[in-house]
Amino acid sequence: MKTAAKIFLYISLALVAVWILPWAWRIATLKSYSTPFTLYSCVIHDFTSLDRTDNNELTFIDRNGNVHSDEVQPLFYGRVLNNKGMLPDTLNGRPVTLALIDSMNVTFSARPSDFNKKDIPVCLFMESVPVRMELQDPEDAFVIRKDGIVLYDITQNTLEEEKTKAFSNALASEGFVFPVVKYSGNPSHHKSYDEGYLLIDSAGNLFQMKQVDGEPFARRFTQADGINVKYVCITELSSKAILGWFTDDSDNMYFLHPNGQVVRTEVKYNPSKESLLGVGDLFYYTIKTSDDDGEHFYALDADDFSLVDTMDRPYEFEDEFNLCEYIFPCRLYFTSSKEEWVRPHFTDFSWIGLIVDLIAAGFVIFLRRRHKSHR
Amino acid sequence: MVKMILYKEWLKTKGFLFGALGALALLLFYCLLSVIKTAQINGIETLWELVLEHNQVLVETLKYFPLALGALLAVTQYLPEISRKRLKLTLHLPCSQNKTVFVMYGYGLIVLTAFFALISIVIYAVLNHYLAAELVNRVFATVAVWYLAGYAAYLSGCAICIEPTWRMRAVLMLMTAALLLLLFISGTPEAYNRILPGLFIYVLCGQLLIFHSIKRFKEGLQD
Repeated sequence: MKTAAKIFLYISLALVAVWILPWAWRIATLKSYSTPFTLYSCVIHDFTSLDRTDNNELTFIDRNGNVHSDEVQPLFYGRVLNNKGMLPDTLNGRPVTLALIDSMNVTFSARPSDFNKKDIPVCLFMESVPVRMELQDPEDAFVIRKDGIVLYDITQNTLEEEKTKAFSNALASEGFVFPVVKYSGNPSHHKSYDEGYLLIDSAGNLFQMKQVDGEPFARRFTQADGINVKYVCITELSSKAILGWFTDDSDNMYFLHPNGQVVRTEVKYNPSKESLLGVGDLFYYTIKTSDDDGEHFYALDADDFSLVDTMDRPYEFEDEFNLCEYIFPCRLYFTSSKEEWVRPHFTDFSWIGLIVDLIAAGFVIFLRRRHKSHR
Repeated sequence: MVKMILYKEWLKTKGFLFGALGALALLLFYCLLSVIKTAQINGIETLWELVLEHNQVLVETLKYFPLALGALLAVTQYLPEISRKRLKLTLHLPCSQNKTVFVMYGYGLIVLTAFFALISIVIYAVLNHYLAAELVNRVFATVAVWYLAGYAAYLSGCAICIEPTWRMRAVLMLMTAALLLLLFISGTPEAYNRILPGLFIYVLCGQLLIFHSIKRFKEGLQD
């Protein structure tokens, strides 16, 4: 019992040491690091980054180091340029107005923690065509079970048997194989319209389900058949240019058109490891994916999402002295900005730290034995 | 002899337990009244939205109660033994030392389990009326971590109280603080699902520390 207790004690102390001390060191030596906001310009047809010049002026700089004013991004700064009377009447041969710019400007984003978390098997389910003009708070929810979905009236917490049957049949008639494996929806009234949920069934096929006048609407994206859909996200962009996006098991990114068309892009994106920022306008969609090593930019044509240009920006971290590498064989952490799970991660293995620890342990054992023999 | 030890523990802790029961009743009343009133005033759908869209478990008021209960129960049980130097007598009762110690902290674990069962029953009775079973499960998966913190605080508290030297006490306190920090490091519901079984086993292994402290106490170690 005494030996077991000592082993438990030493293991616990070692875990506390490789968790708390490297954490404290990282906090003590933490430095801010930021990268400039970057967009593809429809004027110079190049990536431009909002950065500071040598004169400390905040301005757009292209990849050749040329400095540009806000006019290089007339769609992103459309409102500002319009107020100054500097908004051009046409761009790339197309007439532009502030209303058109506003309707086509979109942003969407995703973080790894949006996907690395426990999926709740309960989804609030709103009416897509509300009685009044504005979307209302959801009054229904569907619960994902192994053999299907079950609808609840959440104002009463009662099962809705007829609706359950109707929605289950609607999905089944489209070839849905239960259970629902993954889903994406945004049941909030803080948006201009509702497209319900995008669902992945157990066969890996992609579906949409929404509630229209209390009746089920279900459709299968047949163009996605044969693609092993891994992650899906509904966007419900104000421009209605895309319904959502999804990725396959090779990290290829696809856009879903509201008419059901599936467009494969050249964007490589792993939602479980990378962050995503998409900024779209009348001409281009600038897609940024960021991982631990840097940022990758893709400029896509807004009409057909074909690849126009790419740019990589690796992070430029300076090699800094890390005391913990010389003291500990590894680093332990339990939480990460990339996931909502709390679980142990052992990283930054260091041979030097391991050797130092073994020598220190040997020294302590030697001293204790010597101390005992003297007694 | 086991009955006698249990009776001794009951005599030491009954005042505290009635106080804790009173505090729990007030907390549960406040917490569940808030849930009921939210449902009555804003509608049941508000509770669903809070759980689904705002990552709440509706009983956050109770978050630190198990932790406080575990820590204070350990102090109530073992501080008189140490401060009045009665532990030595207890360990010399006509019963094996390990059995005596096991019955003593076993009593505490049973008391904690009874409290947690009571909390669970009351919470379930109210939430089950308003939420689907899947959402009630989500609440309990989150509350389970708080219960685990209660057990961890109790077992570590016992070991710390019994430990005869301040140096080792400081080490145990450091370990306990780190474990409790881990158990409360995330407020996201169900964030601990993947490590909950491992954490449970680790917390149960904390019993070893009690026997370690008893051994050191018997050896007469001092600062």
